[in-house]
Amino acid sequence: MAASSTSETHPTARDLMDAHPTVLHPSDKVSKGVKCIMEHRYRRLPVVDDEGRFKGVFGVNCLLRLVLPKAVVMDKGLSTVPFVRDSLSDLHRRLKEVEDEPISLCMHDESTQVSPDTPLLETLLTLYKTRASLPVVDPKTQKLVGVISYFDVGEKILSAEA
Amino acid sequence: MNHGTEVINIVFGLDPQWYAGILFVLTYLLIMSERINRAIISLTAAGLMILGGVLTQEAAMEGIDFNTIGLLTGMMIIVAITKQSGVFQYLAIWSAKLVGASPWGILVMLSLVTAVLSALLDNVTTVLLIAPVTLLITDSLKVNPYPYLFAEIFSANIGGTATLIGDPPNIMIGSAVGLTFNDFIINLGPIVAILLAIIFIPIYLIWGRNLRASPEARQRVMDYNENDAITDTRLLKQSLLVLAIVIIGFTNSHQIGHEPATIAMFGGALLLLLSNLPRSPGEQSKEIEKIFSQIEWITIFFFIGLFIIVYGVEKTGLLELVANEIMTLTKGDAQNTTLLILWVSAVASAVVDNIPFVATMIPLIQNMGPSLGGSEALMPLWWALALGSCLGGNGSLVGASANLIVAGFAERAGQPIRFLPFMLMAFPLMLGTIAISTVYIYLRYL
Repeated sequence: MAASSTSETHPTARDLMDAHPTVLHPSDKVSKGVKCIMEHRYRRLPVVDDEGRFKGVFGVNCLLRLVLPKAVVMDKGLSTVPFVRDSLSDLHRRLKEVEDEPISLCMHDESTQVSPDTPLLETLLTLYKTRASLPVVDPKTQKLVGVISYFDVGEKILSAEA
Repeated sequence: MNHGTEVINIVFGLDPQWYAGILFVLTYLLIMSERINRAIISLTAAGLMILGGVLTQEAAMEGIDFNTIGLLTGMMIIVAITKQSGVFQYLAIWSAKLVGASPWGILVMLSLVTAVLSALLDNVTTVLLIAPVTLLITDSLKVNPYPYLFAEIFSANIGGTATLIGDPPNIMIGSAVGLTFNDFIINLGPIVAILLAIIFIPIYLIWGRNLRASPEARQRVMDYNENDAITDTRLLKQSLLVLAIVIIGFTNSHQIGHEPATIAMFGGALLLLLSNLPRSPGEQSKEIEKIFSQIEWITIFFFIGLFIIVYGVEKTGLLELVANEIMTLTKGDAQNTTLLILWVSAVASAVVDNIPFVATMIPLIQNMGPSLGGSEALMPLWWALALGSCLGGNGSLVGASANLIVAGFAERAGQPIRFLPFMLMAFPLMLGTIAISTVYIYLRYL
């Protein structure tokens, strides 16, 4: 009763999240990860290990990272490459070269996350800064307990009484 | 102990030579351990040198070589602006296409571009600009980038040896002794050209003869359009104009009577002015903040602290004692002393940072002047120190900052350059360059 009341008056990340998100495993192949995000048009998916612990995210940014030359995406690499004339086939060739590698090769070790008890505004601010779906992680067990997307938040706001 | 007009009031009545000597050795050990940032170490030790009573604040300021600081800072500003034009990428691509994108040809050309740029800029900046383009080209060619990066490390350190501004040791030596840009070119240019040509022989035998790329891969590189690398034609013209003025200023510094630091700082200020003229005051502030953030402040403050530490040690008379010991060891013979400095500098620079080493060696050599017959007799020693400390940097990954920068790129590209395998290959090659330098110094000066 008290918890419900608190949830209504002081909602947290737990009240916004999707508790059953699609997830990937670090040993999943790049080809599987690419297929998954392309089929469902996900911007990124959380990656969890066998115990459900959050390990990072794999998304369209990782996909771009795989098809671009390393000299461009690396730290202190080339900031512009207007002189390169690569074709779509060249990009596809780069992707083919790594398709059987595990996604752990290129997943982003996401540090931005919220706990289930993070207050509403703090959660929204983090979401705003991250500009992508936000993993909700139990700080004690490091297990992924859900994901918050812009759409989840939009639905919740629109369905709330003004 | 009285040193000229100054009386050193050391803390707790300690012997100044022991205090400064221990502080100096501890500073070296901490720098070598790489556990604490070198700028923090040198500034802390400099503070202890003053607080301990070895130097007054005024004396510490006297110890800082502002000619070195100004020259480094001025060139860093010029490079930070110039690189925005894309001219360095243009050069790298143009040179790669000049040899028909042949893998071995590209290795030679990129190495030569690295050497020339290292002579005119500084090594770290050069490899920061060239290594990413190298990785892009080797990725297109589908060849292992390791030989290319290895050759660029050697070329950067050899090329940087040729000029006053090419490598920090040369800046320090030139400033302390009053050597001009032309002095360095005339005395070290020939041996640098010889070494650059010779170094390709072992690199070809080890890697070059096995470098292969498919016609399709070579075509990918040939399809690069180097003209598109130039992102700002106006800035390019301004940068080349200022660079030309600065180089002409360096080569004529003796005639115009101005120090290289003045020329470099004025060049930096002029390029800042020209490139910011069309901008509003608000945009100018943002742009200048961006350019100044690219100045390597860690290096600048490291130098400042180091100059104070070495000046403190020198003031206690410790370096004079060591210089006398070396003179006893070499029996006051100029030839033996020169060759000893060349080889010791090379081996030392391969394992420790050559900047503190040269900062220590400069007053040490100056103290040898009376025993060897005056400042003119010291000239071979200065060239030996420059050659040993610059070329010695090739001996190991930690021998020069540029080596570590390249190793960082290699690591991020998934082709790590490991410490020991690199040293097993690089150290003998470095000794080879020193052996050739020995012959050069012997024939030319001894």
